[in-house]
Amino acid sequence: MVNYLIVLFAVTNIFFASAERISIYIRLIAMQGLLLCGIALAGLSEVNLGNLIFIAAETIVFKTVIMPYLLFRIVKTSGVTKVHRLSMPAFYNLLFSIFALLISAMIAKSMLTGFVSSVFMTVALYTLFVGLLLIVTHRLIVSHIIGFMITENAVFLFSVAVGNEMPMLINIGILLDIFAGVLILGFFGLRIRSNTNEITKLKD
Amino acid sequence: MSLLLFFISAFIFCIAIFLAGNRKFTIALMALFSLMHISFSIYAWMNRGVTELTYFSYNGPGLLMLFILSVLVIPVVYHGIIYNTKSDIKRFNIYHISLIALITFMSGAYIANNMTVLWIFAEATTLAVAALIYHDRTDVALEATWKYVFVCSVGIALAYLGILFLSFIYGKEDAANLSFETLQGLLKQANPVYLKIAFLFVLVGFSTKMGLFPMHTVTIDAHSVAPPPISALISTTLMNLGYLAIFRVYTLFSSSAIYSFMNNMLIISGTLSLLIAAGYMLKAKHLKRMLAYSSLENMGLVAVATGLGGSGYYGAFLIILLHSLVKSGLFFQMGQLHRVLGTFSLDEAGNYMILYPAGALVLLTGVILILAIPPSGLFIAEFLIIRETVFSNKIFIGITIFLFLCFIIYAMSTRVLHIIYSNPRNQHIPASEGIKVNPAETWTQFVFFAVVIILCIYQPPFVENIIKDSISFLIK
Repeated sequence: MVNYLIVLFAVTNIFFASAERISIYIRLIAMQGLLLCGIALAGLSEVNLGNLIFIAAETIVFKTVIMPYLLFRIVKTSGVTKVHRLSMPAFYNLLFSIFALLISAMIAKSMLTGFVSSVFMTVALYTLFVGLLLIVTHRLIVSHIIGFMITENAVFLFSVAVGNEMPMLINIGILLDIFAGVLILGFFGLRIRSNTNEITKLKD
Repeated sequence: MSLLLFFISAFIFCIAIFLAGNRKFTIALMALFSLMHISFSIYAWMNRGVTELTYFSYNGPGLLMLFILSVLVIPVVYHGIIYNTKSDIKRFNIYHISLIALITFMSGAYIANNMTVLWIFAEATTLAVAALIYHDRTDVALEATWKYVFVCSVGIALAYLGILFLSFIYGKEDAANLSFETLQGLLKQANPVYLKIAFLFVLVGFSTKMGLFPMHTVTIDAHSVAPPPISALISTTLMNLGYLAIFRVYTLFSSSAIYSFMNNMLIISGTLSLLIAAGYMLKAKHLKRMLAYSSLENMGLVAVATGLGGSGYYGAFLIILLHSLVKSGLFFQMGQLHRVLGTFSLDEAGNYMILYPAGALVLLTGVILILAIPPSGLFIAEFLIIRETVFSNKIFIGITIFLFLCFIIYAMSTRVLHIIYSNPRNQHIPASEGIKVNPAETWTQFVFFAVVIILCIYQPPFVENIIKDSISFLIK
């Protein structure tokens, strides 16, 4: 069951490379939140019930509801609906994304231990690459925020991989979520106006 | 004063400032907080090797950095109060609450004996610094804060991945709950690939705090916008925190198979930082950005020195100590310079010696010291690094560093001499025309510079011991 959800998670990552509308990005982020909830519930069999409910609630409340809601508000405030035309074309993004998937699989295979499954490792690494690629290849602030959210999901996926033995690490990952959600999106994200959606005043 | 008492007092001070809403009361509390921090450092020194609240220990490099922070606290508070003379009470109080939070979080991170706790405190500093960078509420401040928060968040996420990889290494053991000492004991079972990846994530992640290549850009922007006393903290104690986090993991892995890999990574990252600092300083047009690139240069040297090992370790910690004193002095001076000239632009600044001789003297002395020209104590540190490149058969690195340093000396000295002695290139009407700055405000800077000069000639046993104690974690 966990493996199916993880593979589905990887499919959402591929979608990121081909999509050009910001609203699709946001829906994909919400979808990843739901999938992470499912992965946590199915994967963390040894964690006590209270902690599990907390983790599930966090993924649903923060990742699936609050963050996409704040992102939609930022899009509405800034009036940007599509990815910047100067960003890398979707075709090349897709190529890079598939290349990243291959690299992730190779790295995961070279690091095989009995402790973490290779599927977990491959998809988590792939998600990390997708997030960083989105930050590097896109120019809009909204895209950068979404890239960061994907990176955060990769971190969460990694922490679920070790979560049975180390629930404290998952709780810290949640701390990172709240930190990013409240500060980055809630405070600064909403202050970025349409004319400053690309901010470039500070330079040498 | 115990650690718990320190944390609780800091929290109560923040609440009291928020509730009172009175300027004089805030100033009094800040003075009390400064004294409390100094007392706490003395307490930590007297209790070396003691562990408190399970996750905090007073030893090694953390103790040295706690001392540096204590030395800086009074001047930072003093110059902050002067900077905020015209701020309304709300902004004045937010500034000081954030400042107390920042100093407390940094102190916690320095003495953390556990990677996860260190990470949490490092993350918390981002919140406090963000509020301080955004202090002036301008569009540029928003942009700098945004970039700082965003890049630091990415860095923090990557550093967290490094900690997760540490957990993978130790299998069923809960790495999040293990101290550095326990982790070291488990190292022999580790897969080198995991170790390398963990180190790389930690290096890249915490380089946002250290201001090192490849994540250096964020601190440069933050420097140019933040109030000068805050730039002094970002450029010194906060960068020291980034280095401490990297150094903790480096120490942890120093007896493993990836020792030479870590050294190579540090040397590459440090040399590239020097290259970027040299390149951008040659075209710098903003005085505070130029000083920020100088911090990048010094952190680059610290990374190279650590990568070289041997006497390089001593050189690295000597730079950490002396750079903190000189650079904070220079940033305090930037606050006064702006009040006199009304600009940070290199093209619009000039005749500083005529307008404010005491400040010009500080600027001149500070630049001589930061460029490691004798009698600067930094000269000893850089000499140790260059000497180590010869002893460790890495003379090519020594020559490269030397070349970059020559460019930096040229770029910085010509620009500062222009500000002090020449007429401005572009005539500019200062925003704060007519403001007279009291020469007595420069006392903090002269005291710091005197210490740096004395440390070039004589290093008291106290300083030597604390640096050697920091390095002793490495030498097995």
